[in-house]
Amino acid sequence: VKYVDEFRDAELGRALAGEILSIVEPGRHYKVMEVCGGHTHSIYKYGLDDLLPANVELVHGPGCPVCVIPMGRVDDGIALAHQPGVIFTCFGDMMRVPGSDGSLLDAKAAGADIRMVYSPLDALRIAKSNPDRQVVFFAIGFETTAPSTALTLKRAKAEGIENFSCMCNHVTIVPPLRALLDSPDLRLDGFVGPGHVSTVVGARPFEFIPADYGKPIVVSGFEPLDILQGVHMILRQLAEGRCEVENQYKRVVPYDGNQRALEVMAEVFELRPHFEWRGLGFISHSGLKLSEAYADLDAERRWTVPGVRVADPKACQCGEVLKGVIKPFECKVFGSACTPERPIGTCMVSSEGACAAYYNFGRFAREREVV
Amino acid sequence: MKVIEVDEARCLALCEAETGERETVEIALVDAGPGDEVLVHAGTAIA
Repeated sequence: VKYVDEFRDAELGRALAGEILSIVEPGRHYKVMEVCGGHTHSIYKYGLDDLLPANVELVHGPGCPVCVIPMGRVDDGIALAHQPGVIFTCFGDMMRVPGSDGSLLDAKAAGADIRMVYSPLDALRIAKSNPDRQVVFFAIGFETTAPSTALTLKRAKAEGIENFSCMCNHVTIVPPLRALLDSPDLRLDGFVGPGHVSTVVGARPFEFIPADYGKPIVVSGFEPLDILQGVHMILRQLAEGRCEVENQYKRVVPYDGNQRALEVMAEVFELRPHFEWRGLGFISHSGLKLSEAYADLDAERRWTVPGVRVADPKACQCGEVLKGVIKPFECKVFGSACTPERPIGTCMVSSEGACAAYYNFGRFAREREVV
Repeated sequence: MKVIEVDEARCLALCEAETGERETVEIALVDAGPGDEVLVHAGTAIA
């Protein structure tokens, strides 16, 4: 398949692994964070960490959209789903995220009309087909998904669909990265930058990482060779004493992003003063809400939601996993009380979550095969 | 996904995945015509 097969070539992968081995300093420990949950999934699906030298550690970042939704927002969504006459729509992964008193799936089982959709456009179609009902779309995701929500809201407004609204939980990638870099818990050597988010925002917004923190970042794609090459480019920068933004994913990511997507986002959304992230707490200007021009389509203005902050269960260590402080298998409940079938924490729900990736690909302990 | 057919008036395209599944995709954010490959996220082509 075009753009896929050539990036899964095993011979090239082995050659890249050899190149990586040749440029790392023996005795130095390298910590590289892959920001995006899609990268985490690919790394464990293809066993890429086994191709890296033992002193190159991959740390998983906060780039899984489902994982960062705090329990309080799930509770708010469930409260909306229980409103009379409401059809509540959301992505499939979101339905299994636990709130303080069950998940959206539990609420559906209890009688709420909650429907899984693949896109916000599907939710809008449901609204058109059910003019006597109110349809709420629970929007989640980074800048990758936000343009889709924005276009749907524009379409709803243009077509005068009044029974459609959106509970906006979109987040932005730069503020949590800055928060992580400011955290004393974590010493990172570089970042594998998020490929799909960068398709929209470009690579330029990450210039603060080398400029303010002296760390390299390489925006990378999601195929095995993309990620290996991204790691190689980071290690090469470190070996040469450089720190820059580099773009490995040039076949998809323009350095300045997708201008049309940025424009539609700027029209439909505005930054919240602060937004709560699971495990990371409140981060300033890290969440989006509907702009005044679209306020009439804001579900949180049509109905009152509890808006109560809920602490994570004590046993759950998703926060530490999302900050890269611990590996999933170091969590007390990983693989025992918390599994993909019965998740306690968000990181075990989505396939992009680090815990689910470890669990699904059999990474129950730090045992690496030396290649 | 590969673009099969474009409805320019509505900024929508019929696209086909490598598995053969077809879906309607919003294409307002990209310049795409039949035969082009697009990167689709949540029903919208972003590249």
